Amino acid sequence: MRPAPSLAQRLATARLLHRFNFGPTPGQYAELLQRGFGATQATVLERGLADPGLDSVVAPVLADLGPIPQPDTPAATAFWNAINGGSTELVTWWLDRMVAANHPLTERMTWFWHGHWATAISKVTYPLPMMTQNNTLRKYALANFKDMARVMIVDGALNYWLDNEDNYLSSPNENLARELMELMTLGVNKFTQDDVTAAARALTGYSTNPSNGMVTFSAKQHYSKALNVLGTTSELNAESLAALILSKHENTKFIADRMWFRFVSSSTTPPATLARSFASRDISSIVSTLVHSAAWSEPRNALVKSPVEWFVGACRALRVQPSTLSAVDVQWKLSQMGQIPFNPPNVGGWPYGQSWLSGVAFQYRFELVEDIMTKGDLAPLSVPKSKMVQACADWLGVAEWSRRTASTLEATGTPADMVIAALLSPEYVVSA
Amino acid sequence: MISCEFDRRRFLQWTGASVFGAMSAQLSLETLASAASSSSLALTTPILVLVTLYGGNDGLNTVVPFTDPTYHSARSNIALSSSQVLPISDTLALNSSMPAIKALYTQNKVAIVQGVSYPNPSLSHFSSMAIWQSASPANAVSTGWIGRWLDIQPHNPLNAIGIGSVLPPSMVGQKRVGSMVALSGIQLPWGPIAALLPRLGRSSSSDVPLEAAAASSITDLFSTARALGPLVSTSPTGSLLSEQLSLVSTLINANVPTRVWEVNLSSFDTHAGEQADQDALLSEVDTAVSSFMTSISAGARSNDVTVMIYSEFGRRVMSNASLGTDHGTSAPVILIGNTVKGGLYGEQPPLNALDVNGNLKVTTDFRDVYGGLLHDVLNTAVSDVIPSWKTALSVH
Repeated sequence: MRPAPSLAQRLATARLLHRFNFGPTPGQYAELLQRGFGATQATVLERGLADPGLDSVVAPVLADLGPIPQPDTPAATAFWNAINGGSTELVTWWLDRMVAANHPLTERMTWFWHGHWATAISKVTYPLPMMTQNNTLRKYALANFKDMARVMIVDGALNYWLDNEDNYLSSPNENLARELMELMTLGVNKFTQDDVTAAARALTGYSTNPSNGMVTFSAKQHYSKALNVLGTTSELNAESLAALILSKHENTKFIADRMWFRFVSSSTTPPATLARSFASRDISSIVSTLVHSAAWSEPRNALVKSPVEWFVGACRALRVQPSTLSAVDVQWKLSQMGQIPFNPPNVGGWPYGQSWLSGVAFQYRFELVEDIMTKGDLAPLSVPKSKMVQACADWLGVAEWSRRTASTLEATGTPADMVIAALLSPEYVVSA
Repeated sequence: MISCEFDRRRFLQWTGASVFGAMSAQLSLETLASAASSSSLALTTPILVLVTLYGGNDGLNTVVPFTDPTYHSARSNIALSSSQVLPISDTLALNSSMPAIKALYTQNKVAIVQGVSYPNPSLSHFSSMAIWQSASPANAVSTGWIGRWLDIQPHNPLNAIGIGSVLPPSMVGQKRVGSMVALSGIQLPWGPIAALLPRLGRSSSSDVPLEAAAASSITDLFSTARALGPLVSTSPTGSLLSEQLSLVSTLINANVPTRVWEVNLSSFDTHAGEQADQDALLSEVDTAVSSFMTSISAGARSNDVTVMIYSEFGRRVMSNASLGTDHGTSAPVILIGNTVKGGLYGEQPPLNALDVNGNLKVTTDFRDVYGGLLHDVLNTAVSDVIPSWKTALSVH
């Protein structure tokens, strides 16, 4: 038996589980504390293994619904019912995957990349191309970013979202070109307006079928002359543009910074070595570098869990599959908190940090906890009363309760009320 | 369909490290409750209502240089014809989707500041909105301009309130942040646990800053509920601007002690199919703001309220082939109130003298507009909120 883990080890272990695996399943945190930090690092990085949890989640079958029918017809009613039903199913499916995964790293990285290539169904309308994009992001979630970018630049949902179907030879639409460079690959101020104009020309000739996301290329509609982008003059199409942009070293720092910001800390800057670990653009390498960094025991590296991360973490701990709850209720409450999968507010993705900490967010967290509690498994609190508060921390993956929270938990009358208070506590809402 | 590539929550990314440092002060529930119940806002105290249009509203199709041939030639596929505008001068007209604001203009209650932006305007939604909300073009700073104003006020959690759930960066200060109220109403926790939950809002010496902020947000819910709960509808509603402003007018007329309100509307990023989308959005602004003014004008605070409508940038003079416009620079800021001295302020940027990217030049710095509002509405010296900025453009 190892000695009792230190507070620093409890903190680092909890952080890895919450940030890379959507939080521990019952018993997992205590077990990993016993096995040591190396075992925790290996566990959160697991992927490609048999995953009965994921296998149990049935994917929706989404049809190509075709063009939008004339309003006020029976066909229109059926069409919008299919759109709304499919969209709701899609969200439930992904939430279920996040909760059910035995090795959640791939789902967690897919969630990160969804926020990075932020595409919203509010404009795309059809769930089918959103699901196709989601599967693309999952396929490349830990692969090479160059491959991911090459495929994403001709992704139907992204092209429709950023108006590339309206990018004409005669007068290019800059939307996709600008956001591709500013938000997805290089960062603001790493390119000029001339680069935007030229890159937009390189992206002409691609048209998207909105209902199924199929992108087709027409050489006739494509700008065929040489273009100067980022200091290089050449004939460019979408793929060679992606390759050119990805050849810039600014890309390594941009992605490394963003990952640090979203996984480690929004208040400290990453070590220079982090961008170097992304030189090959291999995503699994940089994720491994992050997991093995010395940052995890540094108290400053706290992050706020986004609403979805908080909800999924609570469901994993209480063994509640989201599909067993009312999808309408859950999704309405998440949307009231400002975050619903497949519908980021804009191409920049979701906010982070203190933006999620309003009194209104607390109000909806309480309402979601009430929903989760209707199905929650409270077995981990089947311990003597004197050990319940500590058992609750060990169950949920909280390094240490503050005196405030410990005394509140002690004052609760039932295990159910203790869990409600614990899930709403600052120590659980924040990955401290 | 209206495009929604950009809205406020995207911009909120900017806050990042910055917001991190700022927390609501750690006050006990009792203090908050007594502050909220005892301090209704004295009549004649001025109130500012910020209306943020996310996505970059096309200024040239909002306040239209309808007689300028260059306007019609540069954007022939989306230029508004004389039947689609409401003239306010020999050369300028409002988009015809704004009849109620035109009527208020005729009553001299609308000030239009022309050509507003800042030196070397950014064409990034994200950077430009950060600059507008922080009021710091040259250096990225971690605080918003209203947040810095909150920092120097006697503390009251109700000083500045945003409608929604996600805190806008303009309201994040070094020491204080604004509060949020959901359109769907304030619903306090229920059941046996309800009485215990306010304890989670207490500060603890072991809190890292984000935990302290989480705790203070819990206290914030209970304090806004005590002060505002009975006034806020609890039926779920949408998030359109009219509903947000309707809630704000109700609360203002109830004399809640709030000096600054923030509401917002997204989807102004009209890269394609601009005319139908922008008409619908401006129509929403027109209906929402005019109904709000009607409600305010009927109450006791008729002369207290000033509304400012702004966006992170205007759009390119020349339209693209997809009947839209790409990112631009300066645009008009619209200020409305019964004590506002209506009319045109500043200079309309000429369409025949554009910058190297084909965008409008800047004729008014937005910090001058803020300066006027800080002085006239928030009774604060501009340099206390925008360091080393001294000039102000007053519309009062």
